[in-house]
Amino acid sequence: MNPWMQVWLLAKREFTERGRSKPFLVTMALLAVVILAVGPITNALSGGEPDATTVGLVGDQPGGIKDELVLQGMLLGIEIEVETIAETDDFSQMLEDDDVDAVLVDGEELVFYDNDSTRVTAIVQRSLDVVNTRAVLDDLGLSDDEIASVEEPSTVTVTTIEESGTEDEARKAAAFFGAIILYIAIIMFGQFVAMGTVEEKQNRVVEVVLSRVSSWQVLVGKVAGIGLLGLVQLTIIAGAAYISAQLADLADIDVSGIGLPIIASVLFWFVLGYTFYAFLYAAVGSTVSRQEDLQGALMLPIALILPGYLLAIAAVENADAVVPRVASLLPMWAPFVMPVRIASGSAQAWEVAVAVIGSAAGALVLVWIGSRVYRGALLRTGTKVKLKDAWKAAAE
Amino acid sequence: MMRVIFDLVHPDRGEVTWNGAPVDAEARLGFGYMPEERGLYPKMKVGDQLVHFARLSGLSRAEATEAVHHWLGVLGLGDRVDARLEELSHGNQQRAQLAAALAPNPTLLVLDEPFAGLDPIGVDSLSDTLRDLASAGVTIVFSSHQLDLVEDVCEDVAIIVEGRVVLAGRLADIKAASTSRRLSITVDGAPWVPDLPGVEIIENQSDAHCVVPDDAPVAEILASAQRQGTVTSFAFEPPHLTDLFREAVRP
Repeated sequence: MNPWMQVWLLAKREFTERGRSKPFLVTMALLAVVILAVGPITNALSGGEPDATTVGLVGDQPGGIKDELVLQGMLLGIEIEVETIAETDDFSQMLEDDDVDAVLVDGEELVFYDNDSTRVTAIVQRSLDVVNTRAVLDDLGLSDDEIASVEEPSTVTVTTIEESGTEDEARKAAAFFGAIILYIAIIMFGQFVAMGTVEEKQNRVVEVVLSRVSSWQVLVGKVAGIGLLGLVQLTIIAGAAYISAQLADLADIDVSGIGLPIIASVLFWFVLGYTFYAFLYAAVGSTVSRQEDLQGALMLPIALILPGYLLAIAAVENADAVVPRVASLLPMWAPFVMPVRIASGSAQAWEVAVAVIGSAAGALVLVWIGSRVYRGALLRTGTKVKLKDAWKAAAE
Repeated sequence: MMRVIFDLVHPDRGEVTWNGAPVDAEARLGFGYMPEERGLYPKMKVGDQLVHFARLSGLSRAEATEAVHHWLGVLGLGDRVDARLEELSHGNQQRAQLAAALAPNPTLLVLDEPFAGLDPIGVDSLSDTLRDLASAGVTIVFSSHQLDLVEDVCEDVAIIVEGRVVLAGRLADIKAASTSRRLSITVDGAPWVPDLPGVEIIENQSDAHCVVPDDAPVAEILASAQRQGTVTSFAFEPPHLTDLFREAVRP
């Protein structure tokens, strides 16, 4: 029988059994729902299509103030509705009930409920200026055309030298979240590999399996099956994030950062990073015989992964600094740091090539080391097997 | 020894051959193995995991499904195909384990202590299954410490002491070749206590059994028994496997 056919069967079992387990599916569904909801919620919180601002008028008002408020609001891009309030009505109650956003009293006092708005204040101020000036000019006997020419606003063209910084910010944010997702995904699926290994040892099923296939097949099948599951989950999460971002886009938030390139990049680096660490996780997992002992054994991969994650977070703000640059070239940290540097646009093509080749080569070395420890430790039950002893045992 | 057959342990020296050819990975797939440390996936459905293992042994999906259903039926687990392993009773988990070894329809079945932990009914049904398999042409190698059972089921035996075979061959031949005889004596009244050198009681319930060399002074033993009461039966039997084991293991 083709050994790879057996590897495929082993991988398929890992994928379906783990993918079918309720905790996994529930976590997965919750995560997708939460991510999907973030977009619309952000949209709603930022107001979406903002409501019109209502300004109430109480008492004596200069003539034409109503139309002027609406006009000035339009110039500043804010929809203003004007409501005349009778003297007998309690306007402070209306403010409290949010029936009006601001009240102009006697054309000289502007009242807000709690938060005053500079924009509304500016609009009211400007409107009062205009109507008052118009009254004065009218008194001076100027014709309507002359008054209109006085009121003609000077036009100012606005340009920026640099492209708007918002896109940059969005890319940074996406790189930041990408780094977090990579970190969580690699640890989570790495731990699945370690836990699966211990489970098989603890249940003694490993001997039944190994009477049919060799240890390298078990190892590769397990890593591949769980990795595939990880890839599927990441794709779903990334898809949810993408849809969510499109929904948030309606609210004028720049989401260009959460585009397809960064999603593809996260998936690609997950494959490299996961492969690198999964074999390490399998090796340390094979040295213990009970789940209770696993926690201690997991310190080693965590100790390697954590600096990579921290460096990646550091690289979000300062992608060109020496430390992130060096880290992004090292096989064990490249999968975390390099995607951030690529997202920020600071990575040179040759650096990316070095990182990719280095990580792939590093992964191969770990496949070799991991398999050997795994082979040496798999059938030893009881106390924790030392990595060194497992390494030696495999030589026999 | 069993682990060596499945390449789980490397032998210090020697090799494993089957029908004259060294055993490789391909040949091993034709063997069924039930390790002493029982183990299957607790959360996986019985049918699913047995099909998985059968497929690992090289069966197609259709063949594996058919074989698994067949063996679960034979072992009385036909209605538990969709149960998770952990939902099964201990005895049924043991049967599922045996079914996992049988599903590839092996030519050689290796069972490490298959009778351990079985109640008498379980022992009977397993013995019957093994006899049926053997008569169907399957070679079965199993280890056991229940020698009466071994004597009952096996044609060939090997006694291994500290990794060395001290006695091996067809059970009938070994018995015939042994120089000891089992002597069964029933004495009315008090249990018989031998007062002769070299004669040792090994069982003493309703009748006394002792193992004696074949040149033992039969007349003296009979006389000794008669001194203690009325001898109602006095018979020679071939030695039991237990006797041969004691003899072989004794330094």
